[in-house]
Amino acid sequence: MNSLLNYAIPGVPYGCEFALMAVGLVLTYRATGVFNLAFGAQAFLSAFVYDLVQRSDGMPQWVALVVSVGLLAPALGLVLDRLLYRRIPQASTTAKVVVSIGVLIAIPELVPMVFSATTRTRLGHLWLPSGRVYVHLAQTPVTGAVISTVVISVGVVAVLAAMLRWSGFGLRMRAVVESRRMAQLEGIASTRVAATAWVLSSVLAGLAGVLLLPQMGSLDPTQPLEFTALLVAGMTAAAAAGLTSLPGAFVAGVAIGVLETVVQQELPSGSVVAQGLIPALPFVLLVGALLVNPRLRTLGRDTDPLASVDPPPPQPAVTTRDARLALPMRWGFRLLVVAFLVSSLTWVSDTWVFPFGQGLAFSVIFLSITLVTGMGGQLSLCQATFAGIGAFTTGQLAAHFGLPVLLGALAGAALAAAVGAGVALVVARVSGLLLTLVTLAFALFADSVLFQFSWSGGGLAGVTVPRPQLGPVSFAGDRAFLLLAFVVLVACAGIVVAVQRGATGRMLAALRGSPAGAAAVGIDPARARVTIFALSGAMAGVGGALYGSIQGPVSPADFQYVVSLAFVLVVVTTGSRTVEGAVQAGMAYAVIAQALTYVPTRFSGIELILFAAGALTYAAHPEGIVEYQRSVWLERANGLLRAHDRYRQERGGKVGRSRHGDGGYGGRHGAVPGAPAAAEVVGRG
Amino acid sequence: MGDPAPGGGAGSDERTTAGRGAAVAGEPLLAVVDVSVAFGGVQALAGVSLAVAAGEAVGLVGPNGAGKTTLFECISGRLRPDNGRVRFAGSDLAGVPAHRRSRLGIARTFQRVEVFPELTPVEHVLVAARARQGGAMLWRDLVRRGTPRPDEVEQARAIVGMVGLAEAADVPVAALGLGHTRLVELARALASSPRLLLADEPSSGLDTTETSVIATLLRRIQRERGVAVLLVEHDLALVRRAVDRVVVLDSGHVIADGSFGQVVADPAVRRAYLGRSA
Ligand SMILES: Nc1ncnc2c1ncn2[C@@H]1O[C@H](COP(=O)(O)OP(=O)(O)OP(=O)(O)O)[C@@H](O)[C@H]1O
Ligand SMILES: [Mg+2]
Repeated sequence: MNSLLNYAIPGVPYGCEFALMAVGLVLTYRATGVFNLAFGAQAFLSAFVYDLVQRSDGMPQWVALVVSVGLLAPALGLVLDRLLYRRIPQASTTAKVVVSIGVLIAIPELVPMVFSATTRTRLGHLWLPSGRVYVHLAQTPVTGAVISTVVISVGVVAVLAAMLRWSGFGLRMRAVVESRRMAQLEGIASTRVAATAWVLSSVLAGLAGVLLLPQMGSLDPTQPLEFTALLVAGMTAAAAAGLTSLPGAFVAGVAIGVLETVVQQELPSGSVVAQGLIPALPFVLLVGALLVNPRLRTLGRDTDPLASVDPPPPQPAVTTRDARLALPMRWGFRLLVVAFLVSSLTWVSDTWVFPFGQGLAFSVIFLSITLVTGMGGQLSLCQATFAGIGAFTTGQLAAHFGLPVLLGALAGAALAAAVGAGVALVVARVSGLLLTLVTLAFALFADSVLFQFSWSGGGLAGVTVPRPQLGPVSFAGDRAFLLLAFVVLVACAGIVVAVQRGATGRMLAALRGSPAGAAAVGIDPARARVTIFALSGAMAGVGGALYGSIQGPVSPADFQYVVSLAFVLVVVTTGSRTVEGAVQAGMAYAVIAQALTYVPTRFSGIELILFAAGALTYAAHPEGIVEYQRSVWLERANGLLRAHDRYRQERGGKVGRSRHGDGGYGGRHGAVPGAPAAAEVVGRG
Repeated sequence: MGDPAPGGGAGSDERTTAGRGAAVAGEPLLAVVDVSVAFGGVQALAGVSLAVAAGEAVGLVGPNGAGKTTLFECISGRLRPDNGRVRFAGSDLAGVPAHRRSRLGIARTFQRVEVFPELTPVEHVLVAARARQGGAMLWRDLVRRGTPRPDEVEQARAIVGMVGLAEAADVPVAALGLGHTRLVELARALASSPRLLLADEPSSGLDTTETSVIATLLRRIQRERGVAVLLVEHDLALVRRAVDRVVVLDSGHVIADGSFGQVVADPAVRRAYLGRSA
């Protein structure tokens, strides 16, 4: 018993930080429907500023606290509410999560542009000196860090609970939580409640960040990601509390913190399993909670009884294009592709051939996002992990068994497919937000455990994936490799299009459009998800192998969870529903990165900030902004053609046959033969 | 409109005969026995029992909030009743998920339409027909590069034509009006060659001509295809035209069961309706 307490007490401060996060997450989720993945980044920002202020000579702690948690955090909350979330109250949970990923990715890129990027050690603490021992509890020394963390977090949460229980704001808040629409009808300004929730949650984030400081060895501007990884336990706690109960979230947070420490102490120290277990535990717990508590499966669905009065969320634009545009566009596209290939094989300089090849590899990986997110309607945050599985398998098989790279890539794809299917299968009945969280937790699990062995991620040296060789033909040169990557991409794109047009694509479109309707015609949603995750895993695996092969050595850092997040941002910016979207994303991702090698490194974060900003528009344009712009241009072209027709008619000349479906009924060809071919619908998923 | 082809492959025929064979002689196609559902404090269904024979058309009427939709949810598997059983074709449906029930032969339409906005009516039918055969086969898409078989498309067009949507057959449903989407739901339901069709207020939000189309269609579905129909409807004229027998539900209780004439004359029914509006 005593020894258990010995282990448990050091876990309590972690638990309190998880609890603060869980409470903050539940608060904004209930008030605004946003599951705020950027919470860790917010925590980091306050911690960073707290340490900065506290470091200046003669600044007392309380000044630092006021600046970082009292001013900065609420201001950040207000900004997030005003600029982002208030504009998308009706967007789907997925779209809101994507927006929060944008914030999560943008903050660590912005910080080094504003502050100097030096690493700081001997970090500040709040209230009691963290190392000093104050009392002994069951013979365990209790340090200042433990006392301050526990007292402050319990106090803050108690004040919050009292406020929600007894104040007028609490009453309004509870009304909004019950039914945002009803509250609106009753004249409660739900936007004001939402803003308050953001401020409160942001303050909790700031506090959690400052309290985490003593536990971090050092601090540098890239650390929001580390904060986020640490605080995934808080997300698990929030999910375990069903995203509803604040006390439940708090208790779950503390419990997870304690459990983590106890488990860690029980394991032999130094082993990969022991080191990896802490970040991985939330994944295990989340999956366990799902298996034990079936009620969690519906997490994230809108339970508002008045949800049906909302206008439907924005549909992807269905644009009809005049049949006369189809031919020039098709040939224009082919010409572009040929021009690209010929140029890259001939006059383009070596500096650019390499990123072009990378772009093609990324495009293949991004097609896996088209499959799972664009078609499957599920946001997966572990696509880079699948790519990593493909790359490492190829490299290891080549190194240890001399397997040709192309065969190895197939093996890697098969393994990634199996893992993808496995992830979907373990949580077969789960979709939406919870599935997204499971994929995120799985990515962290892979980062900290799966890829940490020398037989998988290759340890510090990484894994070298050789360039392929096909009989006498070697693809060692960048130009030859580019050609190979192009062929692979075309094959993968062909697969995606076939699936999209075929029965599987229709089935997935049905599931996206109406889960209830899909079940009513006999579609098994779990099976559909497993299928699409497997296919998507395979495609990411192939893409990963390609990427590995062009890079040479790859390490687990290349496929970290944050890379998955960045991938998602890039693809939703250009368009997650079409092959073109994925290819544009892949090329842009590689080419912009190359272009930014010409600016000072301090600004190399611009690329991700760009895409983060792009993703912020995802809620308004789920088809992607590039795709949206395309539809705008198509509309213009259609309009011009129509004006031209009218002009010809007025001139009394030969009446041009009006060949476009301006009566609303346009046909489309492609999927279903026999449709009238007057106009075709483009830009559908 | 000839025999509307109950589906392509031999597999589907097997299923149908097997299903029919399983029906116990004398047992109705659908038997709801003593089903209760409570939402928090609201007792939506309080021990409801009713039966529908194979090929029979039954109306289910009752004031708003009587529990009609809730009963549909229990039959189609979206809701698990707190109490009671639902039997279909001689077997208990407890624990059978919604999509399996559809494959057993229970089709439904929704009060709030649940269509697939991106798909055309023909695609709705294709999806439903394929799902009944056990779902999409990935490899088939890859081999055929996504194109459906011509006979599948032909059958789908026949069904879409039957509900009167031939003109809009290739328009994404998002672009159609409510009347058309209700017809799309019916076409989709028919695509799975059901033995029982649950229609939840198919005429709500439609004008009189559209309603009349639906009434004729429901009768044809029952008479020509031998599909049993359970129809929830507030429009009593439509009910009179489309069904043989009417069950009246009020506050989760069955208060009358008989022919249209009998039920309308029943004092308990009059009280249930008038008591509400008085
Ligand atoms: N998901 C739910 N949560 C809570 N209460 C519900 C839910 N669904 C239905 N109810 C309640 O159950 C009762 C029966 O509802 P139901 O929708 O079955 O009625 P109905 O007969 O279909 O009415 P209508 O003619 O208006 O469609 C109503 O009081 C309704 O408010
Ligand atoms: Mg109803």
